[in-house]
Amino acid sequence: MKGKLWLLIVVVMTSLMLAGCSDSSSSEGDKNTVTVWAMGEEGKKLKQFSKDFEEKNEGLTVDVQAIPWDTAHDKLLTAVASGNGPDVVQLGTTWVPEFADAGALLDLSEYMQDYPNFAKENYFDGSVTTMEHDDEIVGIPWYADTRVIYYRKDILKESGYEEAPKTWDELKEAAQTLADRGEDMYGLDIDRNDQITPFIFAWQNGYEADLEEGNLNFDSPEFKEAMQYYTSYFEEGISQKQEGKDIVEAFKEGSKPMFFSGPWMINIINDQAPDLEGKWATAVMPTKETNTSSMGGANLSIFESSDNVEGALKFISYMTDVDTQLSWLEESNTLPSRTEAWEDPVMQEDPMYATFGEQLENTKPGLQTEQFERIAQELLAHIERITVGGADVEKELEEFNQEAQSLIEE
Amino acid sequence: MKLKNRYPYLFISPAVLLLSLFSLIPILIAFFISFTDMNLKGLADWSSISFIGLENYQTLFADDTFIKSIFNTIFYVVIGVPLVIICSLSIALLLNYGTSRLFTMFRAVYYMPSITNIIAVAVIWGYLYNTEYGLFNYILSLLTVENIPWLQEPTIAKISLIILAVWKGIGINMIIFLAALQGIPKSYYEAAEMDGANRLQVLFHVTLPLLRYATFFVTVTTLIGWMQFFEEPFVMTDGGPLDGTISIALFIYKEGFQFSEFGYAAAGSFVLFAMIIVVTMIQFKLRKSDTEY
Amino acid sequence: MAAATKKNKWEQALVIFIMVAGGILVSIPFIWMISSSFKPESEVLAIPPTIIPENPTLENYINLFTNMNFAVYLRNTLVIVFFSFLGLLFNAMAGYGFAKYDFKGREKVFYIVLATMMIPGQVTMIPVYLLLNAMGLTNTMTGIILPGLAVAFSIFLFRQFMTTIPDDLIEAARLDGAGEFHIFFRLVIPIAKPIFAVQGILTFIAGWNSFLWPLIIANDESLYTLSVGLSLLQGQYANNFALQMAGAAFMVVPIIIIFSFFQKYIVEGFTMSGIK
Repeated sequence: MKGKLWLLIVVVMTSLMLAGCSDSSSSEGDKNTVTVWAMGEEGKKLKQFSKDFEEKNEGLTVDVQAIPWDTAHDKLLTAVASGNGPDVVQLGTTWVPEFADAGALLDLSEYMQDYPNFAKENYFDGSVTTMEHDDEIVGIPWYADTRVIYYRKDILKESGYEEAPKTWDELKEAAQTLADRGEDMYGLDIDRNDQITPFIFAWQNGYEADLEEGNLNFDSPEFKEAMQYYTSYFEEGISQKQEGKDIVEAFKEGSKPMFFSGPWMINIINDQAPDLEGKWATAVMPTKETNTSSMGGANLSIFESSDNVEGALKFISYMTDVDTQLSWLEESNTLPSRTEAWEDPVMQEDPMYATFGEQLENTKPGLQTEQFERIAQELLAHIERITVGGADVEKELEEFNQEAQSLIEE
Repeated sequence: MKLKNRYPYLFISPAVLLLSLFSLIPILIAFFISFTDMNLKGLADWSSISFIGLENYQTLFADDTFIKSIFNTIFYVVIGVPLVIICSLSIALLLNYGTSRLFTMFRAVYYMPSITNIIAVAVIWGYLYNTEYGLFNYILSLLTVENIPWLQEPTIAKISLIILAVWKGIGINMIIFLAALQGIPKSYYEAAEMDGANRLQVLFHVTLPLLRYATFFVTVTTLIGWMQFFEEPFVMTDGGPLDGTISIALFIYKEGFQFSEFGYAAAGSFVLFAMIIVVTMIQFKLRKSDTEY
Repeated sequence: MAAATKKNKWEQALVIFIMVAGGILVSIPFIWMISSSFKPESEVLAIPPTIIPENPTLENYINLFTNMNFAVYLRNTLVIVFFSFLGLLFNAMAGYGFAKYDFKGREKVFYIVLATMMIPGQVTMIPVYLLLNAMGLTNTMTGIILPGLAVAFSIFLFRQFMTTIPDDLIEAARLDGAGEFHIFFRLVIPIAKPIFAVQGILTFIAGWNSFLWPLIIANDESLYTLSVGLSLLQGQYANNFALQMAGAAFMVVPIIIIFSFFQKYIVEGFTMSGIK
């Protein structure tokens, strides 16, 4: 019978300990708390940052939960399933349509009057598209990012180029010259796994999707031509097909003197290749019909199940204030979404920021459909068949168009 | 007698109850989901889910990527599973050979791959496999062998991932074999030695037969594990090139968590589930016919 | 006799050589992981990789500890580890039940247990979450711990090993008048020491690394574990590899300690002395 006693002890202990651990603070349903989910590093910084908001809004506390980027989507899914979401959530611009379509985000239309910071005129055109979903306002742009050209000034100069290429033709020609420098040398690095790059080329060539009519226009000549241009870089050996060196390494040694990337790259190059200082610069995208780039970044949205809408609105309004945006830039190195913030001398004088500011004027977000992720993946798969598998461009694009079209019609 | 009959249930009930609650019921729920068109919208508002019968399953078998993933998974299993078992058994025998500190130390060494952080694994193996700068191709170039596109050609990429997975999978099976080897009573060896058996004879007639419970366990679990092959393609190739390394589990993950097609993903996992059950049942059947010593 | 020892010496040398060579080969990525944690960011991705850092630095570790809410994460992780050992006991009991008792429905129940191993974890994630939500266990430690307590793999492993325990031994103890639980705790557990050691290692690692559930269930960072804390250091586009390697290296140290601690029990093995 000693054994039974043992078991009893174990069971009693377990239940005691479990009970002891269960009384963790539960902040939900509290009128004075605004719960905020923000991703990764930004989430961690936001916690400190929001102290200022608490001071200005007596009686409101902000509870920021930082969520790792990798698993943020999973975490949001379960929140949608249970209706146990936060009040405010940070959403990447490509995620907005998906969660808005699921009805997880509160329509902010009726509050637009009371919160002047939310007005569409305050933001870049590329961001405004991400605010709306089916005539509802589902999010307010928090910070912006876009892709520009990073290039090695010294290497381009050696090859006879004083400045970054300004048009498609110039880009191709310069890249060709740079690639001809020798074996294992490339002109322009294109990340074949990046979903948005093919679309950037397409937009630059005048491509446009007509989502209202449910027409993706992937069979338009603009799109086809852009894809031919894109794949030609691989076929002509100007861009590396295989996974070569890490881009920063290659940029450092000069084998890949040009590539497209976003604002986060500035710090990476400064950290990982400090010797390059002064030898590289950024420039806006080259022009074909336009020089459109992608609009990335994140919006702040309110969860449908929020129990503190008023506090949430106040918080978002605070975060999108011009002054807040400028101090947040210092804190987190993410670019302001408010156009007005870019008029600040700080933004005007720094050449790095200035490039991004100029580029942001001309951006488009990923297609605003919840199927975008899938469409982009399909496109990458077809492009891979062309560049690696040697398939026919026409045929692959034809197939891709059909698949994408059937996805959207579902 | 009646009293005694309670004991088995007392022993198994805590674990079995927990498993039923957190595995079995969810599986049943997922099974139900596999007959619906549930996506993110459905998750938020259950009334928008509709029952679509076998449609998910029909679409699956018309989906080229899924068919490819089945083929790839079979490829992984057929080559990988025997390799893992042979490697981990050999290493266990090797480590069991001596009793000095050196041998116990090397247990930890051989266990290291299975506790190496997956990001470190991806970075360092990515370097080893790099076509132009990688260590493997550098060594091969010394032997005047041409560059091998380790991760760029569908079949070679599969083999590369298998090598990586074997490397990572040895640790756990090795310690299971080691524990089993330690469980063999010394008297058996003494008896064999008295009969004048040599080392090989001891290995094949004493050690291996006595390891049958452990071997069976390792075979069943490794097979189940490899049929759910996921992490390696996920971090190394994301299924490419040309879907050459996509496994069923990765396919399911992408459908479910990248594209939020829960119904479709659930259907995919039940196809996988069925395949695993069939394979495992066959193993148990074969085992039954095995004569008990 | 002399010849035999000589031959043995050669054999031993060969075995040691193979073992050491293979061991070094196999542990290169691990060594690289540790060494990277002492490298500055500019050196981590250098090609070819350096095994010994050129400019060793402790910056990554300093960064790691100043960036993490360390005490809280560690406490949560340890609580999870503690309870997973309790789960280990449940699994051992179940394994014993399946191995050494004949009861109605044994095979069927056992197959069902096995079946739970066969479905990819991601599929059941949302249903489990909804169940816990319905039970009001989201955002609690209980919700994080409960789903991971019973593990089919572990039950199966215990069952396989306990089957090899001779029935005579248990029967003899019964004849001596020992109760069933007494037999289990006093006779079976000591005999199954090697397998408990294996399971101890596995359980510790699983608990120590627990990541997804603490993240999904917790709506409050006070419930985060070390792994979740570490993954917060990853950026959306940019990854600070050196910092991550420092985190990974740090996570591995306790595992190695636990491994060395438990693995010595694997050595002990059981002799048949009990039967005599």
